[in-house]
Amino acid sequence: MYRIRFHGRGGQGMKTASRILGTALFLEGYEIQDAPRYGAERRGAPIFAYVRADKKTINERGIITRPDLIIVADDSLIPVPAAGVLAGIVEHTVLLINSDESEQTWQHRLNIRNKIITLPVETEDRAELRFIGATCTGAASRLLGIISLASLEQAIKDELAELGPQIIDKNIHKAKQAYEKVAPNENCVSQGSEITAGKYLPPDWIDLPFEAAHISAPNVWASATSMKVNTGVWRTLRPIIDYERCNKCWWVCSTFCPDSAITVDESGQPHIDYDHCKGCMICVAQCPPHAIETISEQEAAAQDKLKEEETTS
Amino acid sequence: MSEVPMTRYKSLKHMPSTRLLGTGTPMCAGCGGLGALHEIYDILGEKTVFVNAAGCMTLMSVYPFTPFRGSWLYTAMASAPAGAQGIRDALDILIEKKRISKAEDLQVVVLTGDGSAYGMGLSATSGTMERDLDYLYICYDNEGYGNTGQQFSAATPHAAKTSTSMGPRGFSGFKKDLFAIWAAHKPAYVATVIGSEPVDLARKIEKAMQMKGPRMIIALSPCPTGWDYDPKETVEIGKLAVKTGVWPLKEYINGEIIHTKIPRQRQPVEEYLKLQGRFKHLFEPQRNETLISKLQNKIDTYWENIES
Repeated sequence: MYRIRFHGRGGQGMKTASRILGTALFLEGYEIQDAPRYGAERRGAPIFAYVRADKKTINERGIITRPDLIIVADDSLIPVPAAGVLAGIVEHTVLLINSDESEQTWQHRLNIRNKIITLPVETEDRAELRFIGATCTGAASRLLGIISLASLEQAIKDELAELGPQIIDKNIHKAKQAYEKVAPNENCVSQGSEITAGKYLPPDWIDLPFEAAHISAPNVWASATSMKVNTGVWRTLRPIIDYERCNKCWWVCSTFCPDSAITVDESGQPHIDYDHCKGCMICVAQCPPHAIETISEQEAAAQDKLKEEETTS
Repeated sequence: MSEVPMTRYKSLKHMPSTRLLGTGTPMCAGCGGLGALHEIYDILGEKTVFVNAAGCMTLMSVYPFTPFRGSWLYTAMASAPAGAQGIRDALDILIEKKRISKAEDLQVVVLTGDGSAYGMGLSATSGTMERDLDYLYICYDNEGYGNTGQQFSAATPHAAKTSTSMGPRGFSGFKKDLFAIWAAHKPAYVATVIGSEPVDLARKIEKAMQMKGPRMIIALSPCPTGWDYDPKETVEIGKLAVKTGVWPLKEYINGEIIHTKIPRQRQPVEEYLKLQGRFKHLFEPQRNETLISKLQNKIDTYWENIES
């Protein structure tokens, strides 16, 4: 049986990707299961989806704990404990990661010897990000080595029918591109063994004795602790204030930033807190003298690196 | 007219420049609800205790993180107003027994989404108004059950596409008039606000803070995820909701309903609709003139009496 687990952020289309892959496997004559995990569905939240495929009846149910293939739409999820990207990884598990960094980097960073295939993100254009799902599905199909291009194309047409021909064509194009790109790794995913009920490891139970509410209820005794959460990593685009054009109105960007991530100093100059700015770009859209520009995070990171090198040399 | 206190917020220049609500919340990028809440919180200040019904904003305070500088309590979806009653009573008893001073008293603030305010929690809310509970109710209305994938709620507007109204005509029901329902209870104060009109919002929150009894606020909260638009458009869509007359800014005070911002030369409603994916089926594959004019007529009828 193939067990495939998808990790992404809400809005990246991993739920749809799992449906497309499930349908493609079905068209190839497999019995399949595909289901997302119930949970928060807001944009940016870690999302999980699961696909099982087998030539015989699938009796297994529930979440996939020992995946044969892990698909990661967003490499910033890997260090997030709640995302559990590496949970239940076994020797033959293959990882497909959307990342601009190399396989070796990830193997080293995660200290694993598993096969890792990376797909460079290439673009930071928000309109393009919608096609991550198609890219992942295209690549995954080739890695599994049991899905023909025709089935992949048909699955995309079936699952995205309501989105219209233009979007379907774009998805097919993206999926095919990825399908070709990972050709050298065709068929690198192997099926995990059957696990009989008797072989299941018992869960690691932790006994929690009943305690009074003042002990057992989780209380937070400090204020505004959310500032410890670095939501800046959500950003794909970065707003940059051009202080020459800023007219120090002081309130527009700072008031309309939903995340309180723009503060104004005494001279009336606004400052963006990049550790917490999520990149919604409301400030860019609302700034009256258009003094806030947009650059892609990729480009911004490259500029930061240059600056750093200049200061150290 | 009774003595309405002078406002501190005469213009944008007088708006608070502090940003009290903590950064780092897990709300979506461009969340219109968070936008309204952080503006409200700057006015309300730290001496508040929030009672939060299940919804998107429950995720703001997940142990060990909270963006609030004061207290916060989580309740089930229908029970936030009942939770507020308990806290108000506890504070009153503590003051009476001199265990805390009057200066240490807190504003009790209920925070719920539209699923709770317009639907599940309406009965409990009605009870608090009947008992004249001294509290502030803030409903962030994103017109659907956003946290679970935007299923329709009693606040979903006619014709909007939600994950449970996918057909070519969208949602067949009509948005419940919660303002009228709340005002019919004759509480101390009812107001509609929106984050894209910060001065109007600030004045209303300031006014509500100076009153006693049930003070009810509905904040229309453009939702990039549920309404399907680019997050950067949140404020623009909010402004259009006011300019097209979709979201009337008004207040109920002393038995009267006052419109605080009457849009001069209302823009056609389609300016508001066409920016949102949830109304895309009204324009593509072909324009649904019948449905668009139905929506326009409803708005025109509403404003006819007010403008004349």
